[in-house]
Amino acid sequence: MTRLAILEYPDPRLRTRAQPVAHVDDELRKFVDDLFETMYAAKGIGLAATQVNVHKRVLVTDVSENHDQPLVFVNPEIIAKDCVGTMQEGCLSVPGYYEDVNRAQKIRVRALGRDGQPFEMDAEGLLAVCIQHEIDHLDGKLFVDYISELKRTRIRRKLEKEQRARADAPARPRQPAL
Amino acid sequence: MSVGEGADARAAAAVAVAAVLGEGRTLEAALAALPPGRLAPEQRAQAQALAYGTVRWLPRLQRVGAKLVQRRWEDHSPRLQALLLLGLYQLEYAQVPPHAAVSTTVEAAKLVGEGRAAGLVNACLRRFQREREALLAHADRSLAGRTAHPQWFVDAFVRDWPAQAAAMLDADNAHPPLVLRANARRISTAALAERLAAAGHATRPVPFAPRALVMEKPVDVRRLPEFVEGLCSVQDAAAQLAVPLLACEPGHRVLDACAAPGGKACHLLEETPELAELVALDVDPARAARIRENLDRLGLAATVTVGDALADDWWDGRPFDRILLDAPCSGTGVIRRHPDIKLLRRPADVGPLAERQRRLLAALWPKLAPGGRLVYATCSVLKAENADVVADFLRDTPGAAEVPESARLAAPLSPALPGRSGREAGAGPGFALLPGAADTDGFYYACLTRPT
Repeated sequence: MTRLAILEYPDPRLRTRAQPVAHVDDELRKFVDDLFETMYAAKGIGLAATQVNVHKRVLVTDVSENHDQPLVFVNPEIIAKDCVGTMQEGCLSVPGYYEDVNRAQKIRVRALGRDGQPFEMDAEGLLAVCIQHEIDHLDGKLFVDYISELKRTRIRRKLEKEQRARADAPARPRQPAL
Repeated sequence: MSVGEGADARAAAAVAVAAVLGEGRTLEAALAALPPGRLAPEQRAQAQALAYGTVRWLPRLQRVGAKLVQRRWEDHSPRLQALLLLGLYQLEYAQVPPHAAVSTTVEAAKLVGEGRAAGLVNACLRRFQREREALLAHADRSLAGRTAHPQWFVDAFVRDWPAQAAAMLDADNAHPPLVLRANARRISTAALAERLAAAGHATRPVPFAPRALVMEKPVDVRRLPEFVEGLCSVQDAAAQLAVPLLACEPGHRVLDACAAPGGKACHLLEETPELAELVALDVDPARAARIRENLDRLGLAATVTVGDALADDWWDGRPFDRILLDAPCSGTGVIRRHPDIKLLRRPADVGPLAERQRRLLAALWPKLAPGGRLVYATCSVLKAENADVVADFLRDTPGAAEVPESARLAAPLSPALPGRSGREAGAGPGFALLPGAADTDGFYYACLTRPT
C-alpha cells in the first residue's frame, strides 16, 4: 500500500469534478487500499479520491475509534436526507481548522461497494455528515464553502502562509530537478 | 474529513486550568467561560474531564513538572504550566494512549499560542515517559506529594483528625459518586430506584439518608427524565442530613440563611409540606435565582429573599422556629467534587471564614424563637470552622445549648456515620462526617436551641 499526498486548500485541483467509475477492478481496489492507508495515517475519518488528485467518484470512511468500520463508496449518490443539524467539521485538505456546518444528520446513500456490487445504506450522525462531506469533494466542494467569507479568507491566508513557509524551508528534497 | 483528534479538547482544558492557576478562577467558572460553539459537546465533556483530573492531581504532577523544566517552575506562564500538567496527567492517570497524550498536548500548545514551547512540552513529556519511576518517587517523598495536596492541607488535616487524615487525603482524590435525592412529595425512594433501573441506571441506597440513591455509573442528569420532571435532585448524602436534624413540624416558620442554590431548602419543603413559611435567603442575586430555578423544577414554593444574613434589613421581625445556617466555608470537605479548592484556598482564608461564621451565628441567633432550633452546617472538615466556632458560641451565649438529642439524632446514622471517634475523643459539640469514612462529602453539623 502507498501513502498518497493530500492536496491542501486552496489548491485549485480540489475544485475538479470527479468522473464516475466505469468498472470496479483490481486497480481500483488497490487505489481504495491506498486511500485507507492515507486516511488512517492522517488520522482522518473520511477521504475522497479528489483529495489525492485522482478524479474518480470514490470515497472511503471509517468513523470508528478502532479503525474497524472501513466503508467504501464508489459512484455514491444520496437518495434521501433528513434532520438538518450542526456538527463541527474538519478536513484533511484544510488541516487544523474546525468549523460548524449544517447538514442532514440522517441520509440514505446508494453506491457500489469494493466488490462492485450496488448497495444502499442508512447513515446518521457523524457517518452521515462524513459521507456528505466526502461527496462534496467529488463535486469540487469543500466544507469551508459553507462558512462565512471572512472566516474562509482567514483560513486560506493562514494555510497559504504555512505552505509558503514549507516551500521555503532550507531542505528542499521535493524540488523537481529539471 | 477529520475530527479534532482531541487537540481542541486539550487546548480548552489547558486554558481552563491556566485560568485557575493564573487568575484564581474556579474551574467551574473557567470551563463555563470557554467560548461556546468552539467545541462540540463531546469535546467539551472531554475538556472538562481532563481539566478536573489535572487539577485533582496537580500538586503531585507539579512536583514532577518542576523536575522536568530547567528554569524555576513559577517562571513559566500559567498556560505552559497547564499544558505540561495536562500532559503528565494524561500519561499517568488518563485512559489515553501515551503517543496520543503527547501529540495532542503538543498540538494543543500550538492552538493556545504556546507554539514556541511545543518542543519543550514534547521533550518534557517524553522524558517523563523514560524516567517516570524516579520522577514519581521524587514527588511521592512527602505525604502531600503522594496524596496531591498542598502541605498546609495535610498539616491541618493531621492536626484536626490525626487518626483519619490519611483516609481523608485519599478520599479527596476519588471520583465522587452522583447521588440523587428522591422528591418525597412525588415518589418514594424505592419507586425512583425502580424507574431508574428500568431505564438501565443501577443505584444503591444509603443507610443513613433514606431519600438518597447513589448512581452506580455517572450520567448527565439533565438527560434523566426523572430529574427534568422534578422527581429527584442531585445532592450528596451528607448534605441530606440537614433536614432530619432540623426536624421541622407543620406550621413552622423556617429560615434557610445561606440558601443558594437551594438544595437543602427544597429538601425541607419536600419533607414538610405544611410549613407556615420557608424564607430562602441569599446575599447574591444571581445565586438566589438558582434557588427559584430549583423550586420551579420541583414544583415547590418558598419566599426567596435577596439579603445579607449578617444584616437585619430583610427581616420582618417575626422569629423563626427553625434556622438552617449552612455557612460559607473553606469547602475542605468537598475537595473530591471541587478539586480546585486545593489550589484556590489559602491558609490565610480560614481565619476570616471562621470570623464570618461566628458573626453569622451571632446575627441569626436573635431571630430564633424561644424553644426553636438552629442547625449550623458547613462542608468544611476544619475544626476552626466547626466545633471551635460552635463551642465558643455556646460558651459566650447565655441560654444557648446543644440540642440534647443531637447525639440521639445522629445515633441512627451511627453504623455508617464517620467522625464519631472524633466526637468520642472530646472533639467538641456537633458531629463531623469525614471524607473517606462512608463515601460522602465531608460535612459538619451542630444542632443548637434556645430555652423557652
